[in-house]
Amino acid sequence: MAKGKISNNIRKLRFFRDEMTQQQLAEKVGVTRQTIIAMEQDKYSPSLELAFRIAHVFGVPLEEVFSYHLEDAQP
Amino acid sequence: MSFQEKNIVASLSTFALILGFYSIKVLQLVQTERFTATNLFWLWGMVAVFAVIGTILVSIFAHIAGGIVHKIRTNEDPHIEDIQDERDQFIDLKGTRVAYTFSTIGVALSMLTFVFGQPPLVMFCSLIFFGLLAQVAADIWRLTLYRRGF
Repeated sequence: MAKGKISNNIRKLRFFRDEMTQQQLAEKVGVTRQTIIAMEQDKYSPSLELAFRIAHVFGVPLEEVFSYHLEDAQP
Repeated sequence: MSFQEKNIVASLSTFALILGFYSIKVLQLVQTERFTATNLFWLWGMVAVFAVIGTILVSIFAHIAGGIVHKIRTNEDPHIEDIQDERDQFIDLKGTRVAYTFSTIGVALSMLTFVFGQPPLVMFCSLIFFGLLAQVAADIWRLTLYRRGF
């Protein structure tokens, strides 16, 4: 099975929400700032619940925050 | 470095020191032919006391030192995020799995000492050794996951 990679637009979405800080986002979704940093650097893929909470904070659908790519997929 | 990472570094340094101390002491007991139950029980007691008190003291020191360094570098009061979120719990579980793996292998190897005709004292001694080794391995794995991501 091809390996997949989850990427996200959290950094961009924060920027468009009046430069919301990582700390503010972390407090709104109930995690530590370190977890937000890890997600922005694609070092951690969140649980489904946390992903929905983040999308809810930005007021956008889930697929606008997270996207899934197969690593060996042809462009 | 986050609150959880500091705790892991504190635990890792404490248990690595204890593992070293335990290994050296056991070797000394064997070499000087004082490998008796009384001496070994004393050593286990020392290990247990060091493990509990050492981890607490090193954790406190790590957080105080970290706070001072943070204040000096940024001139801001240190903000302690002592909540454990889903990522911390996940990393903790992965570390525990490594600890279980090392412990299982350790128990199997310790039981093997009976096959080679060693007394029960050797088996218990190696059980403690592998228990400490499992803790060190789990902490290393947790720290790796925090640094590298997963």
